Amino acid sequence: MLSKMTVKRPGKMKVKMKSNLPRLLATLLVVISGSALAIDPQPPETPLIISLESPMQAGVRGGTLRMMMAKAKDIRMLNVYGYSRLVGFDTKFELQPDILLGYESEDDRVFTLHLRPGHRWSDGSPFTSEDFRFYWKDVANNTELSPFGPPKSLLVDDQPPLFEVLDELTVRYTWKTPNPHFLPLLAGPRPLYIFAPAHYMRQFHPYYSDAERLEVLQKEAKKRNWVALFKSKSHPYKMDNPELPTLQPWHNTTYKPSDRFVFKRNQFFHRVDSDGQQLPYIDEVVVNIVSSSLIAAKSRAGESDLQARYIRLDNYTFLKEGESQNNYQVRFWRAARGSQFALYPNLNATDEQWRTLNQNVNYRRALSLAVNRHEINQVIYYGLATEGGNTVLPESLLYQDKFMNAWTQYDPAKANKLLDELGLVERDDRGIRLLPDGRSMEIIVHSAGEETEETDVLQLLHDHWMDIGIKLHIRPSQREVFRNRVFSGDAVMSVWKGLDNALPTSNMSPWELAPYSQQQLQWPMWGNFYETGKGNPPTIPKAIRLRELQDEWEHSTSKLQRWDIWQEMLDIYSDQVFSIGTVSGIMQPIVVSNRLRNVPQEGWFSWEPGAYFGVYHLDMFWLDDSKGVQ
Amino acid sequence: MGYVLKRLLLMIPTLLLISFVVFVIIQLPPGDYLESYIAELQAQGESVDMEKVAYLREEYGLDKSFGEQYLSWVTGFVQGDYGYSFEYDLPVSEVVGDRMYLTILVSVLTIFFTWIIAFPIGLYSATHQYSWGDYGLTFIGFIGLATPNFLLALVMLYFANVYFGTSIGGLMDEAYINEPWSWGKIKSVLEHLWIPVVVIGTSGTAGMIRRLRANLLDELHKPYVTTARAKGLPEVRLLLKYPFRVSLNFFIADIGSMLPSIISGAEIVALVLSLPTTGPMLLGALQSQDMYLAGSFLMFLSLLTVIGVLISDLLLAVLDPRIRLEGGVKK
Amino acid sequence: MSQLANEHYVCDDPYDPLSIEQAQAEQQTFYLASQWQLMWWKFKKHKLALYSGVFVILLYLSILVCEILAPYDLHTRHVDSIYSPPQPVHLFDEGEWVGPFVYGWNQTLDMSRLLRVYSEDTSVKYDVSFFCSGKTYSFWGMFDADLHLMCVEEGGTLFLLGTDRLGRDMLSRIIYGTRISVTIGLIGICLSMIMGIVIGSLAGYYGGWIDNIVQRIIEVIRSFPELPLWMALSAVIPVTWSPLWVFFGITLILALMDWTGLARAVRSKLLALREEDYASAAQLMGASPPRVIRKHLLPGFFSHLIASATLSIPAMILGETALSFLGLGLRPPITSWGVLLAEAQNVNVVAVYPWLMLPVVPVICVILAFNFLGDGLRDAADPYKH
Repeated sequence: MLSKMTVKRPGKMKVKMKSNLPRLLATLLVVISGSALAIDPQPPETPLIISLESPMQAGVRGGTLRMMMAKAKDIRMLNVYGYSRLVGFDTKFELQPDILLGYESEDDRVFTLHLRPGHRWSDGSPFTSEDFRFYWKDVANNTELSPFGPPKSLLVDDQPPLFEVLDELTVRYTWKTPNPHFLPLLAGPRPLYIFAPAHYMRQFHPYYSDAERLEVLQKEAKKRNWVALFKSKSHPYKMDNPELPTLQPWHNTTYKPSDRFVFKRNQFFHRVDSDGQQLPYIDEVVVNIVSSSLIAAKSRAGESDLQARYIRLDNYTFLKEGESQNNYQVRFWRAARGSQFALYPNLNATDEQWRTLNQNVNYRRALSLAVNRHEINQVIYYGLATEGGNTVLPESLLYQDKFMNAWTQYDPAKANKLLDELGLVERDDRGIRLLPDGRSMEIIVHSAGEETEETDVLQLLHDHWMDIGIKLHIRPSQREVFRNRVFSGDAVMSVWKGLDNALPTSNMSPWELAPYSQQQLQWPMWGNFYETGKGNPPTIPKAIRLRELQDEWEHSTSKLQRWDIWQEMLDIYSDQVFSIGTVSGIMQPIVVSNRLRNVPQEGWFSWEPGAYFGVYHLDMFWLDDSKGVQ
Repeated sequence: MGYVLKRLLLMIPTLLLISFVVFVIIQLPPGDYLESYIAELQAQGESVDMEKVAYLREEYGLDKSFGEQYLSWVTGFVQGDYGYSFEYDLPVSEVVGDRMYLTILVSVLTIFFTWIIAFPIGLYSATHQYSWGDYGLTFIGFIGLATPNFLLALVMLYFANVYFGTSIGGLMDEAYINEPWSWGKIKSVLEHLWIPVVVIGTSGTAGMIRRLRANLLDELHKPYVTTARAKGLPEVRLLLKYPFRVSLNFFIADIGSMLPSIISGAEIVALVLSLPTTGPMLLGALQSQDMYLAGSFLMFLSLLTVIGVLISDLLLAVLDPRIRLEGGVKK
Repeated sequence: MSQLANEHYVCDDPYDPLSIEQAQAEQQTFYLASQWQLMWWKFKKHKLALYSGVFVILLYLSILVCEILAPYDLHTRHVDSIYSPPQPVHLFDEGEWVGPFVYGWNQTLDMSRLLRVYSEDTSVKYDVSFFCSGKTYSFWGMFDADLHLMCVEEGGTLFLLGTDRLGRDMLSRIIYGTRISVTIGLIGICLSMIMGIVIGSLAGYYGGWIDNIVQRIIEVIRSFPELPLWMALSAVIPVTWSPLWVFFGITLILALMDWTGLARAVRSKLLALREEDYASAAQLMGASPPRVIRKHLLPGFFSHLIASATLSIPAMILGETALSFLGLGLRPPITSWGVLLAEAQNVNVVAVYPWLMLPVVPVICVILAFNFLGDGLRDAADPYKH
């Protein structure tokens, strides 16, 4: 297999040289269509210089990076991995300008954004403040495209910002009160888009395009109206429209549906390495769509150069065995969730008895104390995980030991005592405690049932809770059924992953700790109250306090103030055990081809913050073909 | 020819009934596409704008009544408009693509594979009843039947990769995906095709052997065989001349019953092997409740079997007059 | 020839027409035997079918006493023996017969590969005994008992087929899984046979519009690839159902999918047979349709029914495994072969923990047994045939 590669290489080089011709033609076409001046592919005049920190090396351009995804929709991950944002997080999770040349913020209320001079979209058209104006005026404030007005995340106290174009390269957003959400949202793995490629999107907009042409386009796409047409063409995040210009390091060239998507390097990308060489190093990223169960097997066969998605800890042994034979290396990164699995007592359960218990802090504490986290760690995670509650990870600056350790020391005796004190002393002939109304305490834990790992953890929990006289039943159901049952209060308890963002800085919103959205499994109705105005407001003081703190954070102006808010919220959340954590910091195996350079040995494989490979600069990875041949 | 016409006309109510059942089935699971879409985004940690969801529900017509949705789908289907796939954000006809053809290819090849294996074994087993050969061959056939398809597929896939270096899963090497057809591509397809065909085929073979043997044995004990044997007809000729031909009826009648199970088997195997056939996409569509895509796939697959059964019935009528006259004999 | 033509032998004894029958008592029993007896005689001759039948009966008896047969409880976890491969049982120690025993079974965790490696510790021996008192269990949830077929001396482990990812004994899980899997087959086939025969005979005997409707329904059901039908039907099973009800629900789904085959077979045979003379004769003599079907027509192709039914039981057992594979069938904590196989359904298992695929062995055995049994029954159902 290796010897084959040497034979193939010269051929590949030839193809590369030839492929310059169509590229030139494409540029020519752009020129003819008049949408851009004749321009050489190049980064902006003042590019973003990425310094190469040791052990990173300056790379060689070229090559094809192969990856696998399980669904065609997953190609949006290229947007995440590429992680080109107006502002982005660095590896320390601090905000830095990325697409922007810079920004100024006055009290987190007035944001002035500066674009890079000479920055172009992947099709060569200039990227200017017009793209921001187009989005704000013709998309976000168009009554047909956005019947509900601008995205909710742009509103503070239901007020939209004042948008101004200062000049061709400068825009300003002004709110009446502080909006600390704004910048982190722009830096999110799924970012808030406040701009759109105006030169391309205009053709689908009746304000700019003539009706006849629009109708032709609409018929072609078999869309009901221009709104549907516009929307289907304008998903910058999904990366599914090859015609849509992008600012990402690679742009898609394959129309869906397909089982193989080819991404080509964006020749106008705005980052360069410290030697002045334009990024990304890799010419082409190929994403093959393969059923998720085969991805580990195919990775082992050396069919992916960089694979972490759909690979789990239990694949490690299997993957390790193929390392030398198939010329790759398995590395351990870590998952950054507050807890790999956490139990959420539903404080809004419809069953009165259970709701009363779930709302009782000592009951929640007892349940948490009865969990033998050490056993879970040993049995399922080879002792490699961190045992503790569902809170921020030790690597976060906000971390304190007391958050992690609050009510998580395995102590069934104390748990029993707490339950006895609650008056749950009666037991049935199986030794299971009785509720005040005489029913046995059999908790049905609802799960989305997607991973055997989850079932295994619950199986262990079942045994742990038997010791405190509570029987646990697992009820797996489809994901949406699962969520609906939690939202409606039918589910007394559910199991899901822990905090999404467990490596926060005080500049990130602490919303996960407070009633904020219906999607929060411990208080869906309270969350819904703040999200949509329906549902009920929280009734227990600590939850109300959390929400107050969240409101304070949203109007905060100083970092210090936010720090204090975070600390108090973390303290309340872990002391009140609003969710019962198990273990965190799980190892995530990453399959890295030996040809692929600049992939860190260790890192966080985290959706938020981090955008998986995003903060580690996938555009800096390069393929060293001399090492592939031994 | 009246029989043919009658059969064809009978297909219409069948298909209408199927279309209705299909639509009920895809609507049966609680919730709709948008709910599963939200759930999926949430699982990722991505947030959803609830107002946008309300907009999409209207845009996709999910707020309409069952009857309205069904009617617009069925009338569209007849005109070749199969509806819209929410998941792919494309008209269904563009999503289906080559998958239908590849499914037919795999199914037809599997039927041939089954026949080729089952014919000689069935013949041998019937004529050498209770011999070691009979036991041995049926035993092998049964092993194929008894092993769950999905497990066999997985094991074969793994070892084909370890020993033959066949790339895992799929129906061709990745480099050929989206490329025009060429000899290299055909070769690559053939290299990958044998695993699914063998896996799906083995599960059907045993049943076919069994039925062929049982029918042949029934025939072999009939008086006309004894008569023929008494008249001194050579054994091979005797066998092929009458009993075999009568048993053929059963064989052809079997296509109808084999097709759905082959397609189903193909579906499960395709899931394991990640084949670019209808299976994985259908399952995905059913799971995400992408109703028009799922509905159209179901309709196509049902159509495939209905036509298969029709062909088998017509052939049967040609071969067996008793069945052809079925409608004529009134009590 | 012509020479012999005149040399007749004439017996002078008086002619007794019953002499032959009287002389052969054996033949008499044959002629007087009931149909069931004849079938049994015939069946006995088919050795493979006989053994298969014995196997199947033993299997069904075994599900009554899973608790005794299984060395461990279904859910007992062994934290120190996760992913243990099958453990060897020894008979000889240093060349000397000492009866069955196992050595100590030590686990070390290879952190570089995250693999638990097991080795025998020959310095310790644990005797394996039979019909002994072991861990207590609740027999069918009715009373506590502690009798086990096999147990190992205190301190030792006995994982004849290895353990799974939570350290649960595979052999015990397979034994308990048998209970669920084979009952599904049996209950399912009963339901589907009843439906198949009733609906099939109605269609086949009456013909006309009844036949047409039944034909349409069968055609619609059979035109569906099973997979999506399963998916849809399992989606209908309410989430609030207890595992036991889910079990019956799944069985019913399998039966609903299966009856069409039998109904079709019944129908087509009846269509052919009702034109036979003896059927017309029975009709002319005033027999009611149910009687004609039951007494005259059904026995005519009973062999076929038996063959299809026995072939259907394995199909149901396989159907259960397929449903579980798709994540639509039974779910833990209910343990069936399908659930076990679904857990084994990934490449890790194939490459690293192959013993987790062992539940496929009983599946294959049962399916083979049912097939051979069906074969034998089919032949036996026509005892006058040779």
